[in-house]
Amino acid sequence: MAVEIIVMVKQVPDSQEVVIDPVTMNLNRSMTRNVTNRADENALEAALSIKDKIGANVTVISMGPPQAETTMIECLARGADRAILVSDRFFGGADTYPTGLTLAATISKIGKYDIIIAGEESSDSSTGHVGPGVAEFLDIDQITYASNVDYEDGYVIGERELEDGTEVVKVPTPVLVTVLLNSNDPRRQTLRRKIDAIRKGFEVWNIEKVGLPPEWVGVRGSPTIVRRMRSIKEKERAGKKYDLTNLGELVKELYEKKVLKMEEE
Amino acid sequence: MAGIINATPVADPQQYKNVFVFLETREDKLLRPALEMIGVGKTIANKVNEKLYCIILGSDLKDMADEAVSYGCDVVLGAESPDLKTFRTMPYSHIVSNFVKSEKPNIFLIPATRNGRDLASRIAVSCQAGVTADCTEIDIETDTRILLANRPTYGESMLAEILCKRHRPQMATARPGIFPIPEKLKSPKGEIRINKVKIDKSLLKKEILEFRKKEAIDLTAAKVIVAGGMGLGKPEGFKMLGDLSNEIGGVIGATRPTADMGWITRDHQVGQTGQTVRPRFYLAAGISGKIQHIMGMKNSETILSINNDPQAEIFKYSDYVIVDDVYKVVPALLEEIRKYKKEHVGIAVENRESS
Ligand SMILES: Cc1cc2nc3c(=O)[nH]c(=O)nc-3n(C[C@H](O)[C@H](O)[C@H](O)COP(=O)(O)OP(=O)(O)OC[C@H]3O[C@@H](n4cnc5c(N)ncnc54)[C@H](O)[C@@H]3O)c2cc1C
Ligand SMILES: Cc1cc2nc3c(=O)[nH]c(=O)nc-3n(C[C@H](O)[C@H](O)[C@H](O)COP(=O)(O)OP(=O)(O)OC[C@H]3O[C@@H](n4cnc5c(N)ncnc54)[C@H](O)[C@@H]3O)c2cc1C
Repeated sequence: MAVEIIVMVKQVPDSQEVVIDPVTMNLNRSMTRNVTNRADENALEAALSIKDKIGANVTVISMGPPQAETTMIECLARGADRAILVSDRFFGGADTYPTGLTLAATISKIGKYDIIIAGEESSDSSTGHVGPGVAEFLDIDQITYASNVDYEDGYVIGERELEDGTEVVKVPTPVLVTVLLNSNDPRRQTLRRKIDAIRKGFEVWNIEKVGLPPEWVGVRGSPTIVRRMRSIKEKERAGKKYDLTNLGELVKELYEKKVLKMEEE
Repeated sequence: MAGIINATPVADPQQYKNVFVFLETREDKLLRPALEMIGVGKTIANKVNEKLYCIILGSDLKDMADEAVSYGCDVVLGAESPDLKTFRTMPYSHIVSNFVKSEKPNIFLIPATRNGRDLASRIAVSCQAGVTADCTEIDIETDTRILLANRPTYGESMLAEILCKRHRPQMATARPGIFPIPEKLKSPKGEIRINKVKIDKSLLKKEILEFRKKEAIDLTAAKVIVAGGMGLGKPEGFKMLGDLSNEIGGVIGATRPTADMGWITRDHQVGQTGQTVRPRFYLAAGISGKIQHIMGMKNSETILSINNDPQAEIFKYSDYVIVDDVYKVVPALLEEIRKYKKEHVGIAVENRESS
């Protein structure tokens, strides 16, 4: 039986052109283009390279508004076999808890899965909590912050990049993996696959299909609330100018103000 | 362990008391972020006259428990087993969730390190609670005991204040390198409760094949950082910076593209996807000042930047500015520093001897 891989992808505002409304302090979403979260392209690539090696089925799932369809088509055009957009007005305003819950319920409905792959974090709210949340809901093990993922005879071998080193782990499936941004080189969409993708289309699942009560999901199912947003006050800095002719004075000032010390401890 | 469950508000928040922190370890030693958690946790606990509980897992807890108490922990909750020497998601999340469910803390803080984040969200799901990620400011409303968790967002330009009013515990992860390490207490008093535990085999399926330790460069503890960017133009530029850095007792920092290019190893990287630093002195050589770099170093006490572009963004964040070629400025600066030290080292010694 083929290995079943599920990839979780999120559509995010393009971080290169994020515009903040100066009055409401909210993200002005109407001004920004939406793109696939970059780390999720790496997640899909990790899945596709396992597919290249052993011939797996790759299903992409995303929870989001209808415009996430562009991400669905893009993933199919890169080589995913199936794409499901989980979309319903009830899902709106979810924090990480109901986001994980909704994705986990979707995965349970899909039924069979051996490997679930997510990105390390999203570029917009970057909690990195959705992947591990899904694993907890499904009660399966996880390999987070992986720079390398491989599959062999029922096991996933992953290299986790920690602050002080690389941990190589081996876990029997089913397992959830989160992969690092830039950990691989995502393949491009091909025109032929793109045409096929548009023809074949993707599935849209609503809340009935996912099978969760409306009060468990979206904003109603979210324990956290954003109470307010403040702009971060930057420290005022003088920007005092020096040049090659007076570096001696600069050095004197740095030592006298104890910015530099004769003996660093 | 969790299953498909919703986040259920607790009936009575009054039943939830005290501040819990998770202490991250390696090889049965507390890591620096663990001490940072004790600091911020203790501050919060003191404000509402509650106790600070520290959760420690490992194979030999005695020394770590004593150390936690010496920094201000009131109660150590430990789980000890040879199987817990190294962090693994399944046994750790299982044990920590059980501690939380039985002890009912009002607040639970976890470091936003990679293993911390690996753990935090699973605990939140299992305990049906909310968690605010990667906080840089954490406070408590004293009358309501509501946690005020603040996290930077939108490229660090804004701070979002996030609350979990109806769920307990109120959880947050705290960004490493932000919260100060507390002073050691002169006469520490704390209760140590270490449970020897047996871990179910079903939780131990993850096998750790190997750990390749990186030469540990802890930029977060550095007092002086000499950082280089693409303006260096070639890998040798870092050698020049190394000479300067050695002279002033610093460590080398770098921008992401220099690490991408392989001019320097990744552990020197400062910024959004590198380390967050706050040294006494940060020298930025050939760095443009893109936001992803700035967010990692803008809290440095004094910043000097060298860039040949008079319009460089980095200058807005700088106390001292030199508009010129790094290859002219850095050697000249090094020479001036040597000169200054030579002229003053005698005086320093004399002063010490005469006093
Ligand atoms: C300013 C701000 C701050 C926030 N802070 C918090 C907070 O502290 N705590 C909190 O609980 N919520 C927070 N949220 C809400 C959070 O943005 C949403 O819960 C979001 O749906 C998922 O979180 P994330 O983007 O951080 O995902 P991450 O956990 O960073 O995403 C990791 C991976 O999970 C997968 N994934 C994530 N979302 C989806 C999706 N919708 N569909 C498919 N796959 C997905 C992707 O593979 C992704 O790479 C915040 C929102 C805003 C606007
Ligand atoms: C998701 C994401 C995460 C990121 N994370 C990080 C991160 O953690 N850290 C990070 O640093 N970046 C990060 N980046 C990259 C960041 O956006 C910038 O690209 C990067 O910081 C620029 O590095 P730089 O200043 O070295 O290079 P450049 O922007 O190319 O700047 C080089 C500078 O050197 C100057 N210069 C050139 N020649 C000389 C000379 N001879 N003498 C003096 N000055 C000279 C130029 O005027 C210019 O200002 C991230 C980007 C993304 C999208």
